[in-house]
Amino acid sequence: MSADTKIAELLTELHQLIKQTQEERSRSEHNLLNIQKTHERMQTENKTSPYYRTKLRGLYTTAKADAEAECSILRHALDKIAEIKSLLEERRIAAKMAGVYSDSDPPRKTMRRGVLMTLLQQSAMTLPLWIGKPGESPPPLCGATPASSDYVAKQGDKVAARVKAVDGDEQWILAEVVSYNHSTNKYEVDDIDEEGKERHTLSRRRIIPLPQWKANPETDPEALFSKDQLVLALYPQTTCFYRALIHTPPHRPQDDYSVLFEDTSYADGYSPPLNVAQRYVVACKENKKK
Amino acid sequence: MSELKDCPPLKYYDFKPVEHVKVCPRYTAVLGRSEDDGIGIEELDTLQLELETLLSSASRRLRALEEQRQILTDWQDKKGDKRFLKLGKDPDPAASTRHKPKKQKLDGKGGHTPGPGPGRPKSKNLQAKAQEYEFTDDPQDIPRTPKNDAPNRFWASVEPYCADITNEEIRLLEELLKPPEDEAEYFKIPALGKHYSQRWAQEDLLEEQREGARANDKKKSLMGGPLSELDAKDVESLLKKSESQHDSPEDGCPFGPLTQRLLQALVEENIISPMEDSPIPDISGKDANDGAGTSPRSQGKAYSVPHTRTLEARIKEELVAQGLLDSEERPGPGGDSEDEVLAELQKRQAELKALTTHNRSRKQELLRLAKEEMRKQELRQRVRVSDNEVMEGFRRIMAARQKKRTPTKKEKDQAGKALKERESILKLLDG
Repeated sequence: MSADTKIAELLTELHQLIKQTQEERSRSEHNLLNIQKTHERMQTENKTSPYYRTKLRGLYTTAKADAEAECSILRHALDKIAEIKSLLEERRIAAKMAGVYSDSDPPRKTMRRGVLMTLLQQSAMTLPLWIGKPGESPPPLCGATPASSDYVAKQGDKVAARVKAVDGDEQWILAEVVSYNHSTNKYEVDDIDEEGKERHTLSRRRIIPLPQWKANPETDPEALFSKDQLVLALYPQTTCFYRALIHTPPHRPQDDYSVLFEDTSYADGYSPPLNVAQRYVVACKENKKK
Repeated sequence: MSELKDCPPLKYYDFKPVEHVKVCPRYTAVLGRSEDDGIGIEELDTLQLELETLLSSASRRLRALEEQRQILTDWQDKKGDKRFLKLGKDPDPAASTRHKPKKQKLDGKGGHTPGPGPGRPKSKNLQAKAQEYEFTDDPQDIPRTPKNDAPNRFWASVEPYCADITNEEIRLLEELLKPPEDEAEYFKIPALGKHYSQRWAQEDLLEEQREGARANDKKKSLMGGPLSELDAKDVESLLKKSESQHDSPEDGCPFGPLTQRLLQALVEENIISPMEDSPIPDISGKDANDGAGTSPRSQGKAYSVPHTRTLEARIKEELVAQGLLDSEERPGPGGDSEDEVLAELQKRQAELKALTTHNRSRKQELLRLAKEEMRKQELRQRVRVSDNEVMEGFRRIMAARQKKRTPTKKEKDQAGKALKERESILKLLDG
């Protein structure tokens, strides 16, 4: 089965799942409306009779079951999307390897900077949001949660990579993993900006994998970097990471971090607050560079 | 607000589902499509975001429902809790502000639609808000209260280890240092009793005797007294006989090893007669005569155990006195080297002695340290007092400065004196 038919099939499945989702939602709507009405009645009477208490408990239990069903089907749908995306990504990498660029993915060499930036923004936006079931804790690479020590970034993963520039300065750049050599423990990465031109071979110490999930500030605020924490953040409109302090963590899933970059051109040593997406903020390992 | 008692601290969350028509246009569009139209790849990103919005909302609803349901379930148990009343009465501003962002988030979930959703009367909204202030975050406050207790309990448990040493404790230490009265008790070595096999045999016999007596009682009623008397005598002699047998079961000889050896030596060398001069032969001669004249079986009485035993002891004593036997050989008073129980007892006593000495030295050390610490405590107390004096002086001088007048000589002197005193105490404390 070719990738195309597979994707088409998955898209159909996704379509069905979305329809099921809506069925589930309309089904539970009635019950939620009931809860709302009961709430109103209880509040006007300003006391809770045992009758209402029992009734409400029943309603809550049903609504909970409904919500569980809804969540599970939504997760299913999101998994489908992730599956399709990973297929697309595979295709893109394969194409890149073959040196052929498909129509949907124009050759990067000729890509204008602005287009690249938009692409980066887009990929940050669509980084999947991690929504755990109650009691579940965020997995590694969700928000500020670091990868396990033996984690190996996969081909095509975006990473922050510490490279030596021509002038000898070291810089954290946004890069894409090409391969990992298990015997030497070294990565081969491509600079995202000048793809094809620069390929770096770097030890794994010089690689920080980027988050693979956004943390949900509403449910898992502990998986976010907290205020005043030192991080590496992608400076807006560049493909380089710089040291920065978290100014404010995001409040909603689609929000960005607001960070203060270390910048000697400002009196207090920090830039004014700038927004950086969750995807491009990683923990800063203390190093000599300062 | 008495009816509050009957109200569980519910938050009356707004569980209204997300208005997908408004918030999730792509999702809505996809819903309207037929199977054939399907979904385009380019729509995936938007769809993902919208589905995430829906999932986030549903998960939050799930959590809120669970929480509220729990409150309802727990309510019955907590009804009598006075804290609800108290907390419910005065709307704590902190609590309500804490609550507010949550509420905003709930509304904000509506996402990008400002204002209340359609089909939801404004008045109801207001009412819900008003209600909110009355029902402050009780369910969150209540479980938090016991948590606050933990540090207190911890410090209370630590307190005894950090507290000042009191005279009471010194006294206790001194009390402990006195050697306990019953100490000697543990170093006593009790006299050797009868061998257990003997004692048991005796007990067995006595038992039988009792049973026999009981049987005799019955017989007596039938036959009369003399028989029972005879029986008693029989038992006694039996007992004696068995005792003598047990004394030296190997050869049936009632005498101790020393007596035997001595006699053997005398017999061999044929010098029995001169021994009549010494007090020992008196006894031994008698015994020997007895032994020679009668067999132990026919005349049990002659071999009464205490007799041979004292004889043995006397012989030993005499031999030692004569310098023929080395008293050093014997490991303890009245013991002999083969006595395992005695050896063990002595070993344990030695251990006990070592332990008590060690404990005593520890206690002495502890007492010394405690006394030292008491002295320091006193000094520290004095430091605190003089700290206060210094601060007092400082305050006075500062007050004088503020009033733009130079501090009087008295104030200066006082401050200086306080400082010096404090320093000297500190030196003492460090030294």
